[in-house]
Amino acid sequence: MSELTPTQGAFGTRVSLRRWRAVSGSAVWRQPLAVVGVSIALAWLLIAIFAPLVAPHDPLAQDFLPLQHPSHAHLFGTDELGRDVLSRVLYGARLSLPLALLLVSLSLGLGLVLGLLAGYFRGVVDGVIMRLTDLVFAFPAIILAMVVTASLGPSIRNAVLALVFVSWPTYARVVRGLVLSTADSEYVQASRLIGASARSALFRVVLPNVIGPVIVLATLDLGNAILLLAGLSFLGLGAQPPAPEWGQMVSQGTENFQYWWLSTFPGLAIFTAVLAFNFLGDSLRDIFDPRTMSGRGS
Amino acid sequence: MRTAVPIVTVLAVAVLAATAAGVAQSASRASGTLVVDNSFVIRTTDPQREFDPTGSIVAHAMYDTLVTFKGSGTKPVPWLATSWKATNGAKLFTFHLRKGVVFSDGTPLTSADVAFTFRRLINIKASGSFLLANVTVSTPNASTVVLRSKVPNPALTRILANPALGIVNSKVVKANGGSDAVGADKKDKAEKYLDANSAGSGAFVLKQYTTNQQIVLEANPRFWGPKPKFSTVVIRNMTAPTQLLNVQRGANEIALDLSSRQASSLKGKSSVQVHIDPSPNLFNIDMNMSPKVSPVTSNPHIRKAVRLALDYKAFAALGGPGSIQAAGMVPSVFLGALPSQYAQKRNVQQAKAEVAASGIASPTITLTYPAGLTINGIDFGVLAQKTKANLAEVGITANLQGLPVNAMLQQYAAGKDQMTQSYWGPDYPDPNDYQVFLPGGTAALRVNWKTGMDKPLEALGKKALQTTDDVARASLYRQIQRKLNADSPFIPLFQPSQAIVASKNLTGAVLNFTWLIDVRSVGTR
Amino acid sequence: MRRFASHRPLVRFVVRRLAALVALSIGITFIAFALTQVVPGDPIRANLGQIAQTQPDVVAAFRHHYGLDRPLPVQYLRYLWNLLHGDLGQSEQTHDSVLHDLGQFAPATAELAITAMVIAIVVGVGLGILAAVRRNRPTDHALRLVSLGGISVPTFWLALLALYVFFFRLGWVPGGGRLDPGVLAPPHVTGLYTFDALVAGQWSTFWDAFRHLILPSLVLALFNVGLLTRYTRSAVLEVIDEEYVQGARAKGLPEHVVVLRHVLRAAMTSLITVIGLAFANVMTGSVLVENIFAWPGIGQYAYQSATALDLPAIMGVSLFVAIVYILVNFVVDLLYGVIDPRIRIA
Repeated sequence: MSELTPTQGAFGTRVSLRRWRAVSGSAVWRQPLAVVGVSIALAWLLIAIFAPLVAPHDPLAQDFLPLQHPSHAHLFGTDELGRDVLSRVLYGARLSLPLALLLVSLSLGLGLVLGLLAGYFRGVVDGVIMRLTDLVFAFPAIILAMVVTASLGPSIRNAVLALVFVSWPTYARVVRGLVLSTADSEYVQASRLIGASARSALFRVVLPNVIGPVIVLATLDLGNAILLLAGLSFLGLGAQPPAPEWGQMVSQGTENFQYWWLSTFPGLAIFTAVLAFNFLGDSLRDIFDPRTMSGRGS
Repeated sequence: MRTAVPIVTVLAVAVLAATAAGVAQSASRASGTLVVDNSFVIRTTDPQREFDPTGSIVAHAMYDTLVTFKGSGTKPVPWLATSWKATNGAKLFTFHLRKGVVFSDGTPLTSADVAFTFRRLINIKASGSFLLANVTVSTPNASTVVLRSKVPNPALTRILANPALGIVNSKVVKANGGSDAVGADKKDKAEKYLDANSAGSGAFVLKQYTTNQQIVLEANPRFWGPKPKFSTVVIRNMTAPTQLLNVQRGANEIALDLSSRQASSLKGKSSVQVHIDPSPNLFNIDMNMSPKVSPVTSNPHIRKAVRLALDYKAFAALGGPGSIQAAGMVPSVFLGALPSQYAQKRNVQQAKAEVAASGIASPTITLTYPAGLTINGIDFGVLAQKTKANLAEVGITANLQGLPVNAMLQQYAAGKDQMTQSYWGPDYPDPNDYQVFLPGGTAALRVNWKTGMDKPLEALGKKALQTTDDVARASLYRQIQRKLNADSPFIPLFQPSQAIVASKNLTGAVLNFTWLIDVRSVGTR
Repeated sequence: MRRFASHRPLVRFVVRRLAALVALSIGITFIAFALTQVVPGDPIRANLGQIAQTQPDVVAAFRHHYGLDRPLPVQYLRYLWNLLHGDLGQSEQTHDSVLHDLGQFAPATAELAITAMVIAIVVGVGLGILAAVRRNRPTDHALRLVSLGGISVPTFWLALLALYVFFFRLGWVPGGGRLDPGVLAPPHVTGLYTFDALVAGQWSTFWDAFRHLILPSLVLALFNVGLLTRYTRSAVLEVIDEEYVQGARAKGLPEHVVVLRHVLRAAMTSLITVIGLAFANVMTGSVLVENIFAWPGIGQYAYQSATALDLPAIMGVSLFVAIVYILVNFVVDLLYGVIDPRIRIA
């Protein structure tokens, strides 16, 4: 059942080498959606880096009157422990963005190594790795992640580990597919003929060809990573208090429905961050796939 | 395709709007149905095996007990037993049963059923079995029940009102695998039957029990007492936020799990009535006495420092309107409660001095709490964050450890928590229940406070157990609590309030400390 | 065998896939078993009462009965053996066999998931075709924004918002659960209340079940509507300029006939694959949506057993969902093979 999930990344991006080579970096900037996406993502990134400068208050300080409506003093109001919600939302970027990056790079790293091995050595190695991906694919991500975090104990570290465990196979599949098509190219055949070692061929020829498209795929996956992490935290299986994490803040807010600002603002934060990466991702996808390209008259 | 845009884009809204037409219809649900929204905590509807809030509501509706409490009261009044007397220094109790009571299948209720029920409770070793520890039951005749306690047991009549002591039809239960013999913990197989059927004499019978979903009760036509106002009662599993929305829109509806803050936000709305009563629940901090578990919390100066560091007013505020600082471990609504002038006061300077006196440089503690658990609408995670902030002010670092409830209870029961954000709900409304906090008691053992570690206090506890006069008992329990406040592993934080929000037209939706709400006495205006 | 096989490529294909399915299922049991070994909770504490667990003989009997005193490989084989006999163990929270629980909760999720999938497919594919046909026009751009928005909204947040607006503010739909209180479930046929009510001819029950179903399934569908819109758009665009489509146009067929008859069929192969993926999304979403809408399904059961460390239930749910998932993919694979014969050879 290795065809169970095709070599498609987020949103069905078909990765082909031909298209990857055809992409010019500047094409991205001609897409208004991409510009919006990059701007929002950049804004969140800057907020994450400069949170202590941007946030008006300490996100953990229980200094204020609890449950104040949004006002001039507290733009997003205060929570039940008298903390400034705006500061918590801004600091939340410090958790969600780096963790999503970490999650995606770990999955990518693991998937890259296993995909390279499978694609290059084929045979038994390929068989074993691909059967493993089938197995992991058979479990819906959140259920498996729930079981893993519940087993290891709920913490943000375990949530990331659990999600790495369920998301590496996508990358392994894509990388394997790319390696297979690269390895068959005349260039590699030729380098094999002249006696280049397997390892040097893998690193000199195959890897550079594979890494580009995969990194693009990973970018597209960032939005999903943010959503999944927030979902686990919402269920109480991710970030633990008092850490200002968006999903957990929404969950706290649901207990106090009448104080709408408690869950509305962190929810919007998740939405905009994910939207930014999806805007960017969708634009990249268009560039990959000229026939579906928006903005190109037909 | 031109028309496709409006058609598809409004599809979702159109479907929603179509269902709106059904709103009027939904309001016309059977008028004889009472709906109780509750966050389920229930393992079974077998009365002897249940010992949790939802289980108690249901068992109380279906099974009669020898005595009962009226409304919010804690004074036992006759129910199946019309009269009783306690003799021999609260060691011998004789109950006379009401005549003419039959079970829902028509079988008359006799003392044999009472004896079967009590013996079954003792021998199946369930969570509620300790209620009848050291008690034996005998039946001189069909309408008399005699209970003998090895130790003086002035709380026994109050205990008998607990729904876990609801009388079952012994013939039916035996026929379905029930057993009251020694070894019933393995032999008794009646739970499955009692999860699908009821075998009691109470006002309601079980119509349907769907795990994690809903419990449907129907009026028992053979009930001996006053006929309940509602012929059907549905107890639904709902989270508090959903309850908050439901109760405002529903008819004949009661919400049990709103925080007092949520409930008070509904005050003044025309569709609902809001009751906020002091709850007998108690939120507290536990500190481990074993130096092996924590050299920090086992240090008396640190325990004193923690006691002085906590911002009790802020904790009570977290509990919402109606919450009060707990002066002692016995809740304000019970006999022997400590008056509020003895409540601990905050003093940050003194707390810092105590930390310095402890000789421990930068003391660090792990504070464990049940993650995701909410009681009376109060999230333990929020409390733990407050504790952490308070302790930080006096130079004690608390690292939070939120665990899933089961894992947390395992670690707690094994006595491995350094500090616990804890809670106690009464098993029965009597200060004897709070003996668990004395050295060697169940709760004390969880913080390694063993017998012999505070002999004067233990002696006071023994004396209180053997005293039968309520005035003398109350004074003894006050002494005990003042000692506990001076130095012990336990710090009482606050008593929350229990909110009950009901549709405006309902009557009798009042809090009871043992079974939350008595659905058989809820009526309409 | 070889002759038989070579003459019947479809049969060979199905047999090969079935074999893979069985192998995968065994692998899944292995993972489920392995997961339970890392759970820190002690099943004895979890399963025996407070008093019972202090008695050594009771504990020993329990360990022996469940084979906990045997080496791990033996435990695994025993577990497989029990599975083959339909024994998934007993849930610690419900005190019922896990199989019974799954039987009780699965139909609720199935009803929700199927409805959400149907909505997602109808709306998503419809919007996708529309976007492709109106490529680069305002409709396309608008749909692009909407669908990207759809895949960016956190499901749990949307569920809360929807409940607040459509139930609380507007009162258009009921607030959580599968039926109004007091409405009894229809006679059990499939466990899907809407279907069962229709079969029994109980119109008011059908209406009640339907009203409860609509909001959670719309929320659950939204992510996949976004996903399917984007997929369909690109799948349609891949074929819309192919020669035979152009040919059909040249023959003077109306555009909607061209789209529905030729383009959609050609785009079907990629769509079927996506629907397999969409199913996984629905399962993920149902954990969150069921929690908020008090929908008594597998998602809530999974969540509750995971947080309660209810081992047999966790194992049961993961197994069950995994097996349903590979069965769905198996069917997708078969459809794929039937629609596009080239796949079989690959």
